[in-house]
Amino acid sequence: MSVFSPRPEMPAPSTARGIVRAVLLTLPMLLLIAMMMTQGELPKDSLTRAVTAITYALLGAVFFLMVYKKETYKYRAALFTIVAVCFSIAFIANLVEMRGSMAVSRADMLAGETPFCHLVIPMVIIPAAFTRTIIFPGSLLEGFANIASMLILWLGASLALGRGWCSWVCFFGGFDEGFSRLRKKALIKKIAPVWTYLPWAVLLTLALISALTLSPFYCEWLCPFKAVTEFEQITSFKILLQTIIFASLFILLVVILPLLTRRRTQCGLFCPFAAFQSLANKINIFDLRIDTEKCKNCRLCVKDCPTFSLDENSVGRGKTLMSCTKCGKCVDICPQRAVTYHIKGTPVAVGSDTARILFLYPAFIFMSAIGGSMIVSALTRIFKLIATGSMIG
Amino acid sequence: MLQGFILGIASGTACLAYCAPVLVPVLLGEGKNIQRNYVILGQYLGGRLCGYLLFALLAWAVRFPLSGLQDRELVFGVVYVVLALFLVYYGLFNHRALCAGQIIEQRPIKRFSNRLPPMPLVFGFLSGVTLCPPFLLAFTEAADKVAVWQSLLVFFTFFLGTSLYFLPIPLVGAFNRFDALQKVGKLAAVVVAVYYLYAGLIKIAGGVIVS
Ligand code: SF4
Ligand code: SF4
Repeated sequence: MSVFSPRPEMPAPSTARGIVRAVLLTLPMLLLIAMMMTQGELPKDSLTRAVTAITYALLGAVFFLMVYKKETYKYRAALFTIVAVCFSIAFIANLVEMRGSMAVSRADMLAGETPFCHLVIPMVIIPAAFTRTIIFPGSLLEGFANIASMLILWLGASLALGRGWCSWVCFFGGFDEGFSRLRKKALIKKIAPVWTYLPWAVLLTLALISALTLSPFYCEWLCPFKAVTEFEQITSFKILLQTIIFASLFILLVVILPLLTRRRTQCGLFCPFAAFQSLANKINIFDLRIDTEKCKNCRLCVKDCPTFSLDENSVGRGKTLMSCTKCGKCVDICPQRAVTYHIKGTPVAVGSDTARILFLYPAFIFMSAIGGSMIVSALTRIFKLIATGSMIG
Repeated sequence: MLQGFILGIASGTACLAYCAPVLVPVLLGEGKNIQRNYVILGQYLGGRLCGYLLFALLAWAVRFPLSGLQDRELVFGVVYVVLALFLVYYGLFNHRALCAGQIIEQRPIKRFSNRLPPMPLVFGFLSGVTLCPPFLLAFTEAADKVAVWQSLLVFFTFFLGTSLYFLPIPLVGAFNRFDALQKVGKLAAVVVAVYYLYAGLIKIAGGVIVS
C-alpha cells in the first residue's frame, strides 16, 4: 500500500454502538470530575454555579469526543491551551487583587509569598541535599501553591503519566502548544537535531549554578512564563535586565518559534524541567509504540511531533524518544495507523483502543483537577468583567 | 603548612561549587571513561595549581596587589569574560572533541586550536585565578608571609585540601557510553559561558563605575 493510500480505519463500532460505548466510558469520568469540582456541595452563589456548570460541560464534552472519535491530540491541545490562558487570567487577576500589580516586591518574596511552581523542582534538589533548605522564596505548607502541595501533585502526576505531565498537566505548556497550532504550515521545517539536547544542557547548567549561587537561577533569569504570571518589581538595573531577558525568551520561544515551526519550541528545545521530567517516563507504565511492520517510513510523525520526540532511529526501533509527552499527535496523524498507546510489559496491540483509554483516565483526571479550577476562576473573572467592567473585587 | 591544608578542607565544598559548572560540562563533553577522566581532572587541577601559584607569587611579591575593590572587580571580570570565550570556543568550535553538532564551519579555528594547550588545563588555570571566597581567604593568608616559599606553600596546601573534593567527579565517565551526554556537555559549556559572560561584564561595569 502506498503511503498516500487512504488511512486504514480503526475497527470502529457502528455509530449507535460507538455513542453508547463513549457514553459508558465517559460516565465514570463525569462522576469523578463532578466530585473534584464540587467537593460534595454545589457552589453557593449563582455566578460560580453557572461557570462550574459550563466548565463541567466543557470537560465532559472533550473527554466524550476523545473517546467517541478515537482521537486524542486536537481535543487535548484545545483544552490544554484553554487551561493555560485561563490560568494566566486567574493568576494575574488574583495577584492584582492581592498586591495591586503583577510585580512581586522584595518584601513579598522575603515573606515567602511567591507561589511555588514545578519548574523550580530540578533546581532545588542539589541545594536541598547539601543545605537542607529549599532555595525558593515560597511557603512550605501555607497559602496558595505552597511547596508541599506542588511537590505532592508533581510526584503523583509523574508516577501516573511520566512526561505526559508536559501535555496534560503543566499549566504553561498550553501557551506554546496554542501558538504552534495557529498556522497551517511551518515556515521553518528543519531544526538541527543537536538542539534537542539543549534542555538537558540548560538543566545541567542550572542545577550546577543554582547549587553555586543557592538561588533558583532559572526563575530569576530565564523563565519565559514570568511574562504571563508575575515578575519582580523593577528596582535595579539587574532586575531590568532580567525582565528584558524573560520577555524576549517568551516572545521568541513561546510565540515566534512555535508559529514558525509548528512545534512546541519552549517545551522541546529549552525547558529544563522538560528534560528532568523525561526521566519520569522511565518509571511510568505508559509509552507509545510503532508497529515497524505497518510503518511505511513516511516520517510524518517525525516531522510533526511537537516536542521532537521521534527520530528516524527511534521509529526504526518502534519506540519514541525518552522525551515523549504522550500528546497523541503521532497516533492520530499516522497514515498507516502504526502508532499506538501502549502499556509496558504487554504486547503491542495496534488497532486496539484499550491502552489509550487506560491512559486517558489518569491523564484527564489530572488535567481536570488542575485545569478545572483554573477555568472556573478565569470564567468568573471574565463574567465579572462583562457585568461590572472590572475583573477585580 | 597545616593552615593552608585545613583551610582547603574547610572550604572544599565551596570550591567544588565554584568549579563544578566548568568542570562537569568539560568531563561530559570529552566523553571519556573513568580512567581517562582522571587524566582530564589532573589537567584541570594542574591548570588550577598554576593559577594558584601565580597568585601566591603575586601575593608575596607586591603584598596584596589588588588592594582596591575596583581593581579586583575589573581583573576578575576580565578573567570571567576570557573564561566565557574559551567555554564558547570549547562548546562550538573545538575540533579535538565532537562539538555541538558541528554547528560552525571549523577550518580557520582548527589552526588556532592546534596551538592551544589542552582545554581542561586552560579552564583549570582560569578557574584558579578567579575570585571565590575561599580563594580570597588563602590569598589573605599568603599575603602575610615573609618568604616566597611560605606564600607558595600556603597556596599549594590549600590546593591539596580543596582537590580532595574533586576526586569523585570523574566517575561521570561511567556513563560515557551515552553519546548524547557528550553533546549535552558541549552545549552546557556554552550555556555556562553565557552565565560567566554576564557575571564578567557586570563585574567589569562595577569595577569601572567604582573606580
Ligand atoms: S509511524 Fe511515522 S513514519 Fe511510520 S507510517 Fe506512521 S507517520 Fe509514517
Ligand atoms: S512521540 Fe507522539 S505522543 Fe510523543 S510527544 Fe511526539 S507526537 Fe506526542
